[in-house]
Amino acid sequence: MSDRRRRFETQALPHLDAAYNLAKWLARPPLDADDIVQDAMLRAYRAFDSFRGDNVKPWLLSIVRNCFLTAAGQTRHARNVPLPADGEAGSDDPALVVDAPDPEAAAISAEEGRRLADVVAKLPQEFREVLVLREMEDLSYREIAQIIGSPIGTVMSRLARARGMLKEKWQSDVEGVGHVLQ
Amino acid sequence: MSCNEALRVQEYFDGELDAGAAAEVERHLETCAECAALLKDLETTRTGLRESSPYYRASDELRARIADALDDESGERPAWRPARIGKGFLWGALSGGGATALAAALAVLLFLPVVPNPAVDDITNAHLRSMMSDHLIDVVSSDRHTVKPWFAGHTDVSPPAVDFAKEGYALIGGRADYVDGHRAAVVVYRHGKHVINVFAWIAGDEHLPATALRNGYHLVFWKSGNIAYCAVSDTGLEEIATLTQLFQNAGAPVNRE
Repeated sequence: MSDRRRRFETQALPHLDAAYNLAKWLARPPLDADDIVQDAMLRAYRAFDSFRGDNVKPWLLSIVRNCFLTAAGQTRHARNVPLPADGEAGSDDPALVVDAPDPEAAAISAEEGRRLADVVAKLPQEFREVLVLREMEDLSYREIAQIIGSPIGTVMSRLARARGMLKEKWQSDVEGVGHVLQ
Repeated sequence: MSCNEALRVQEYFDGELDAGAAAEVERHLETCAECAALLKDLETTRTGLRESSPYYRASDELRARIADALDDESGERPAWRPARIGKGFLWGALSGGGATALAAALAVLLFLPVVPNPAVDDITNAHLRSMMSDHLIDVVSSDRHTVKPWFAGHTDVSPPAVDFAKEGYALIGGRADYVDGHRAAVVVYRHGKHVINVFAWIAGDEHLPATALRNGYHLVFWKSGNIAYCAVSDTGLEEIATLTQLFQNAGAPVNRE
């Protein structure tokens, strides 16, 4: 086994689940998270000799994100669907609309978790990705900034907005259910 | 949200502040109801995201696909691992209850040229089993006074079971398992969305490596007295090493034999 392959297996491959989780949260049909991750791992492997640094995880996740953006761009181009407005989504953004809650689900906490996942999945990408990277991967602001290619201040403000939107949407669901039951 | 300190509270919550700045935020939290409520909301959403929403893991088929792609790329295809004939042939042929476990075991065997070591193989397989079945935890608790006595009744060793939630490693429970024919106690931690299993068993004269890697899972071994330990997870090696350091500092285990 080559030295590059050995180092890649030791340093990059342990982050495969993190790569897949990010791809899965970013990609929406018809995009396939498996294809995005395979593409990303191969690109990472080819570039691995030129990687300088001791923190592989953010480097690898930034490649995953770039592969996602490339794939998403191609899909949009192929289907000739107009790009969504580039900017922060307003409260009337259809991407933020959450399905009405099912009253019978009120008492089930797994159901609540599923609804939370639904809310996250419907956040615009720039908010979804900072939440996944911070809360699920426990990455620092600096690492997240590296992955999304934005300043730390942007990470902080997006994270704050993402959490605000999440809380509002999630809790309004829960309260809506409570109201129905009363 | 109108308090100017809101972003600072978020930084505090995310562990981004040094001790001095953190103390300032704590003082502010005592007097600002709005920020205290914000902190509670941050905790609620984090708990929901870490414990109730899905964390998607790479399938064994994807791991195999990537291994194949890397082989092709580097022109390295071990003679004992032929190119897979038709994508999904092997995986399509396997179906039913035991297939996932079998496929995982195969993936472990196929992925790396393996230096045989029964403990490494046993622990990797036990870790995989614990992740894919409901048998991750026998005793659910973040309380060492619950987990440690449970070990005393169910395994040969009583390793320390200390919660390191403040350091980012939350104790979530314990389990009985087997390593190399020994009854092992497993202390289970959650780090972010990753599970770290810490196995403890009575050491024989087997040779244990300091670290090992199987199928993308890191294993870190150490011994304390006559107890052998192994921490295993799909998280990074440094992150596992941090836990093993905390664990080793937490106190000597009690051997009941």
